[in-house]
Amino acid sequence: MSIIKKLALVVVSLSLVAVSSVSSAKPFSPKKPVELIIPAGQGGGADEIARLVQGVIEKNDYASKPVIPINKSGGSGGEAMTYVKKKAGDEHTLIITLNNVLTTPVNQPELGIDFFNDFTPLARLITDTFLVWIATEGKNTAGVETFDDFIDLAKGNGLVMGGTGSMSEDELLLGMMRGQFGFDAKYVPYSGGGAVAKGLVGGESDFTLNNPSEQMGFYQSGDSKALVMMTPERNPAFPEVPSSYELGYPDLEYYMMRAFMAPAGIDAEVEKYYTGLLHTVYHDDEFQTFNIDDGKLMSWLEGFGLKDFLAIEYAKHGEIIKNFN
Amino acid sequence: METVGFLLDGIFTSLQWFNLALLIFGCLIGLFVGAMPGLGSVNGVAILIPITFIIPPTAAIIFLAAVYYGAMYGGAISSVMLGIPGASTAVATVFDGRPLAVKGEAMTALTAAAVGSFVGGTVSVILFTLFAPPLAEVALRFNAPETFALMVMAFATFVGLGGDDVPKTIFSILIGLALSTIGLDLITGKPRLIFFNIPGFLHGINFLVLAIGIYGIGEMLWTLEETKGKVQMSKLSVNMKEVGRAFGALKKTIMAMNIGSFLGFFVGILPAAGATPASLMSYGITKQLSKNSKEFGDGVPAGVVAPECANNSASTGSMLPMLTLGIPGSPTTAILLGGMILWGLTPGPLLFTQEPEFVWGLIGSLYIANFFTLVLNIALIPAFLMVLRIPFAILAPVIFVLCVTGGYAPTQSLHDVWLMLLFGFAGYILRKLDYPVAPAVLSIVLGPLAEKALRQSLILSDGSMGIFFDVSEKPIAAVIMYIAIVLLIMPAFGPLYRRFFKKKQTA
Repeated sequence: MSIIKKLALVVVSLSLVAVSSVSSAKPFSPKKPVELIIPAGQGGGADEIARLVQGVIEKNDYASKPVIPINKSGGSGGEAMTYVKKKAGDEHTLIITLNNVLTTPVNQPELGIDFFNDFTPLARLITDTFLVWIATEGKNTAGVETFDDFIDLAKGNGLVMGGTGSMSEDELLLGMMRGQFGFDAKYVPYSGGGAVAKGLVGGESDFTLNNPSEQMGFYQSGDSKALVMMTPERNPAFPEVPSSYELGYPDLEYYMMRAFMAPAGIDAEVEKYYTGLLHTVYHDDEFQTFNIDDGKLMSWLEGFGLKDFLAIEYAKHGEIIKNFN
Repeated sequence: METVGFLLDGIFTSLQWFNLALLIFGCLIGLFVGAMPGLGSVNGVAILIPITFIIPPTAAIIFLAAVYYGAMYGGAISSVMLGIPGASTAVATVFDGRPLAVKGEAMTALTAAAVGSFVGGTVSVILFTLFAPPLAEVALRFNAPETFALMVMAFATFVGLGGDDVPKTIFSILIGLALSTIGLDLITGKPRLIFFNIPGFLHGINFLVLAIGIYGIGEMLWTLEETKGKVQMSKLSVNMKEVGRAFGALKKTIMAMNIGSFLGFFVGILPAAGATPASLMSYGITKQLSKNSKEFGDGVPAGVVAPECANNSASTGSMLPMLTLGIPGSPTTAILLGGMILWGLTPGPLLFTQEPEFVWGLIGSLYIANFFTLVLNIALIPAFLMVLRIPFAILAPVIFVLCVTGGYAPTQSLHDVWLMLLFGFAGYILRKLDYPVAPAVLSIVLGPLAEKALRQSLILSDGSMGIFFDVSEKPIAAVIMYIAIVLLIMPAFGPLYRRFFKKKQTA
């Protein structure tokens, strides 16, 4: 073999290596089904959105591999967070958030979860709001027409509030309201927002602080009514319900964030891929219509904006928990 | 008479060729996921939800309801043939279905399961058709104190489950209750009994892990010892005479059918209960009220009919709170509910008036689904029976693999597989020592439901137990509670009373 031929071989093989290294730098795409961890049970708000995201991806072929929602509801999200923490560097795991990802690391320090270093935040898609609900024919809340009527009534009487579980968002909210308005209530935990809504209409509790979608059926049928929405503005899905700002209570503002995170230690390429995928889902017509009709706020946030938001929310929840105990 | 018109429309809707094809296909898938341990109706429905985006909502719900239904039948197959509960709803079917198969009467057990399911399914759909709106009202009034009273009644029936050895039965119940407290405290949210800080305990002990361990692995070890790996049944004849005999055995199960159908339906419509507690409770009550209650557990057809009737009845029942209140009555309906929301339907009090085609299409399809699953099942019995002709040395590893996948699937964690093996070994030992294990399985299912209802009630009453006995304030709760106390006293003091009575006679 002549030197030229040898050289030619080297060149060819080098260029082959170059080509293959270029192809390996191709943008990331999942090589196996992606686990989407839900830190709550089946049928709840986070579960609903996770399955909607799965459905939208599946239906439109937005991803090369399917997304598989898996519920890990133990320990107020502790089980799910521990699981994702252990998956550091795994490129096929995502977690959808409830606000329990902000409270559980504080409430359960024994789990050793470091919110800022154990996860890679990808994007926030939706914020869900809260309303104060009473039953239209509630025996203890008869005659209550406005939120102020309600405060007056609640101050004098120990009302019963149905909620979704200890130290969940709605109990923290009750704690906030206790400080703000000086009333307290007996908190009865149920399993999930649907059961909370039923307890209210069935006459077991006097009021709830449910998300819009959780009470939607009974709202539409006229069995329960909302007194205030904890946002600066009214929501088109509930046109007659005043916002807390309107009523002069701007401190009564609270949101449930529906964001997605990946485990810590993934490549920037992977992070970019999933953020892009979520962005596609976010702009899907069906996704938009569904959530807006459901009274949710579409609120895309990524990158540094998201990181700032999470830091502020984390601090805010730490404060609420401190005041609560 | 408006209802009849709607119902006929619904039945015709589900008989359209596209819907009918989906229905039969759904039943077959359901049979399969029900029979495979670890793949229950929950998984089946969850996996198939995305497919339903491409077909109209009515067709989608018919398809998924058929899967749900088929799974209720399918669970019985592996319970009877392998002794592994194919799905959580079929655990109670193992209690008598497996002994029947071991006695050589697998044919009777499978026929009883298929017919029981059909009867339960049909009775419940009729109840649904006639009384849906008033029953929704009942479900709405059935709150924490009522639920707790019902749970006490269920526990009271379990005391009689283990035969006359009441202390051993109570021991078994307490073991189950203790295991059910592992995990997250339902009220305070704090972790409880997290042994060695293993995160796997945070989600508690999954009841299927216990049931598959005790029955699947325990039974496998037991049978291996008994058969020494040989064929279990050498003579198995499937002819018309056998079929006739199997149907003949069902004559004695009329009471079980009644209890299963009505109790199952009622438990099903209560939010958060579902088909598993319904089947277990029906088994307990049927046994308690039966004349030959001592034979339960050794293989009586009524012991198969009661839970099978109840799980189908309850699965129809649990659609009621889903459709009318937007609250799932079982884990599977929770997923169906998610599906409905994605299809653009708002479950709730208005669904019946706003979407009559959807609701009545679903109800109509349940009648048709019942009929087809019965036919499919009876036709497939000879195929299922072939399993018994396989030497146990070959069958045992297959059962082992099925148990491991069954233990892994519900939470996708290896932790549960180890637990399952541990329970299997413990179950084998308990069986050798003649401890009844059924009560432990029952109490791990009902324990958390009872605890939650009790603590909710006590918060409401400021800690007073009076809330359960106040006939004027909470009549439903009080009546159920008093019945429960009577049921509890009967088996516990029955033997004592008899002994006392006999002494008097001889004296």
